[in-house]
Amino acid sequence: MGGIYWLASYPKSGNTWFRSFMQNLIEDADQPVDINALSTGQIASSRGWLDEVLGFDSADFSHDDLDQLRPAVYRWSTRDPEIGYHKIHDAYTFTADGEPLVSQGGTLGALYIIRNPLDVAPSYAQHSNVSVDEAIRWMGDPDNAFCWGRKKLFNQVRQQLLSWSDHVRSWVDSPGLNCHVIRYEDMLQSPTPTFSGAVRFLQLPSDEARIDKAIRFSDFKELRRQESANPFREKPNKAERFFRQGQSGNWRTQLTADQVARLIEAHGEVMQRFGYLDANGQSL
Amino acid sequence: MAYCAYNLLIHSDLLLPELAPATEHDTTLPAIVIRYGAIDRDGLPDGQPIGPFLWVNATSLWLHVPSVAHFLIREGREIVIDPAAGIDEDSLRVFLLASPIGVLLFQRGHLVLHGNAIRIGDQCLVCVGQSGVGKSTLAAGFMQRGYEAIADDVVPINAACEVVPGAPRLKLWKDVLDKLQWDSSALRRIRPHTERFNVPIVHPGPRRALPVRWVYTLERRRAEVPRIEAIYGMNRFTPLANQSYRIRFMTELALKTQHLALCGTLAGRIHLARVVRPDDAFDLEPLIDALLADIAEHP
Repeated sequence: MGGIYWLASYPKSGNTWFRSFMQNLIEDADQPVDINALSTGQIASSRGWLDEVLGFDSADFSHDDLDQLRPAVYRWSTRDPEIGYHKIHDAYTFTADGEPLVSQGGTLGALYIIRNPLDVAPSYAQHSNVSVDEAIRWMGDPDNAFCWGRKKLFNQVRQQLLSWSDHVRSWVDSPGLNCHVIRYEDMLQSPTPTFSGAVRFLQLPSDEARIDKAIRFSDFKELRRQESANPFREKPNKAERFFRQGQSGNWRTQLTADQVARLIEAHGEVMQRFGYLDANGQSL
Repeated sequence: MAYCAYNLLIHSDLLLPELAPATEHDTTLPAIVIRYGAIDRDGLPDGQPIGPFLWVNATSLWLHVPSVAHFLIREGREIVIDPAAGIDEDSLRVFLLASPIGVLLFQRGHLVLHGNAIRIGDQCLVCVGQSGVGKSTLAAGFMQRGYEAIADDVVPINAACEVVPGAPRLKLWKDVLDKLQWDSSALRRIRPHTERFNVPIVHPGPRRALPVRWVYTLERRRAEVPRIEAIYGMNRFTPLANQSYRIRFMTELALKTQHLALCGTLAGRIHLARVVRPDDAFDLEPLIDALLADIAEHP
């Protein structure tokens, strides 16, 4: 019997990096997996996935009415013979009927990847080709969403992100959700224990040598090397490149003091909880 | 009311202004019926579920479109509609003329592709691809140049490998109409409160089935200019099978073998190519020019 583990994160928080690691782990090959051949699963907002399971056009539904139908699609995955691992940027929200968007019955758990919002902001700005100030404003907007327009057809359905803090809380504090949290910064600084913990949670092969090789093969240098050689197909139209720096702490040279203050004011509580601020509210 | 589309005489309880009214010449066509009726809410008693809102048995497909209607499609001859309370007729029409009519055409032995078809001389090109890739925009661009669109969304192909003309309309989003500078004020929305419109296909002369000569699978990728790559040999079958309308229907309906055989026959007769369009801007004119040049090279 199948079911779904969600690979959940706010955008630009390491989700694709983790998927690259996962594919290298699963394939266990002698060379790194092609970044344009990542096939760890779907994205929850894929219109193609929804239409195929629903049997009718999701495009002819309003965003809210379609959200009502999404849990049934994910629940259907329990009929698959194998576990599915699917990416998701939606916040953990509920339908008007009170069911989690990701469905109660179809969800085995969620790996939630969190990243210091001070580093998310410049990356999000570059990803969306907007100013850092605009990205900071979006990160504080409780109505922030992807693909929300109604005048054109997107190949993904609307994804409600909420504010950065609410996105984090929606997943990690959701009662009854089997959730394992990892920090982007720990993926960088303590890769073996961080990836190993995630692998055990996701019921993937947890042989240490295999994990270490997958970590090496999905190193940021390798991802950047591949993207320089061949454009990454998941790169948004407006962005110059997808894999940027893959570092933590770059905000120190990329954000102004005012931008840092605004992010801390909006998200300080969650930042402190996940070790991005000390007890005095100072960034670490 | 009686209509003519898909080379069928359609007797329908539901008014279908998207379709051409039947004339006395159409009375010899095979007839189907679309009628209102009660449908069991629990699926098909002797069938199996193939999706959260889909059941199938040897002769029928049961489809529930929540808050809109239940549909029962039987033996390629009948579609029963059981509307949800308070639903408007436009909403019934938009769903009826998509999956249910596609299933009925499957049941009648057609290969049904997801895309649209454009008449080029006495043949036609079929453009297929994922939702949102720009198929309808491309069809609208061809229409703007005076070409006739003969099928949109549901593209039925008969045993002679001909596209059977469907509803004479394109369903276009507001942004496409704006891009083409077409006025939407006089157009009917396909459903209340949506920004998608029915654009009638007005073209002189009778609409008839036309042989498929070119099939293009449209993709968005990073590219400077449109790129067309021919697909040869054994690689031709899979793209066609994968572009079948609602592939779940094809794999689950009892007619699978027949459809796959038709896919194989079609693959042997057409020029099949992958079309990559730049993902950062949808420049219609260079894309249409590239396709017309490719068509001229492969007449």
